[in-house]
Amino acid sequence: MPSDRLSLTFSALADPTRRAILARLARGEATVTELAKPFDMSGPAVSKHLKVLENAGLITRGRDAQWRPCKLEPAALKNVDEWLEHYRALWEQRFDRLGEYLRGLQGKKPNEKMRARKK
Amino acid sequence: MTGQAKDFVITRTFDAPRELVWKAYSEAERLAHWWGPKGCKLKIVSLDFRPGGIFHYGMEWSGGSIMWGRFVYREMVPPERLVFVTSFSDENAGVTRAPFNENWPLEVLNVVTFEDAGGKTKITVRSTPINPAKEEREAFEGFFDSMNQGYSGTFDQLEAYLAKNKS
Repeated sequence: MPSDRLSLTFSALADPTRRAILARLARGEATVTELAKPFDMSGPAVSKHLKVLENAGLITRGRDAQWRPCKLEPAALKNVDEWLEHYRALWEQRFDRLGEYLRGLQGKKPNEKMRARKK
Repeated sequence: MTGQAKDFVITRTFDAPRELVWKAYSEAERLAHWWGPKGCKLKIVSLDFRPGGIFHYGMEWSGGSIMWGRFVYREMVPPERLVFVTSFSDENAGVTRAPFNENWPLEVLNVVTFEDAGGKTKITVRSTPINPAKEEREAFEGFFDSMNQGYSGTFDQLEAYLAKNKS
């Protein structure tokens, strides 16, 4: 079964080094050498991480053979955010229904103040 | 987008004891009362409530269309912890893509904990998409916490970046 883009993105985000790389790229483009500096990591080790990020659509790498600057692509993170919002809304709805169901089971009155729930 | 909680953790406290809440999660007839979205009727095909077991169901909408879903249970520690993988499905309990968005995750891992809160129950749901080929991940709690911190931080920086780079 082929993977979906979002779970690739999550896998990419699951690593603290990769998140730090993204944080750096959020401040502007950078080369592999520049990205490797804060980690005391070799170029090839950083490149491995960059490949994962690229595969997830989180970054793109320039074509310039010498420098190959890396650039953050915002769309992938926006997709995550969209999914999170959708998923949260789904769960809130389920919880609303669960709350009503549990109240009904225990013979309690329906809750008129549903909006004032604690988060 | 700003102002929304950008994390993978959802919590709510219910005015019911844990044992009852656990029943609501573990018995088919009870699940049917609340699992699906409002406006649809949940049709239980099968519920095999044990690790590795499957809950297969259809959500019937007025107009006759049905959307199928399934859980595969991973872990259960009554009445405090339940772990399962959800996905969209078909009549044969296979895994399918979300019918309304093909970019959405095929499978989502849900770690649900039930805490006693003075006779009430606090439910915490931690969810993340998973790659079926990389299921072997230990210490899910640690993973979610680190994802929370890292993701939110990254997203704040991203928003600042986008604000500066409109093109």
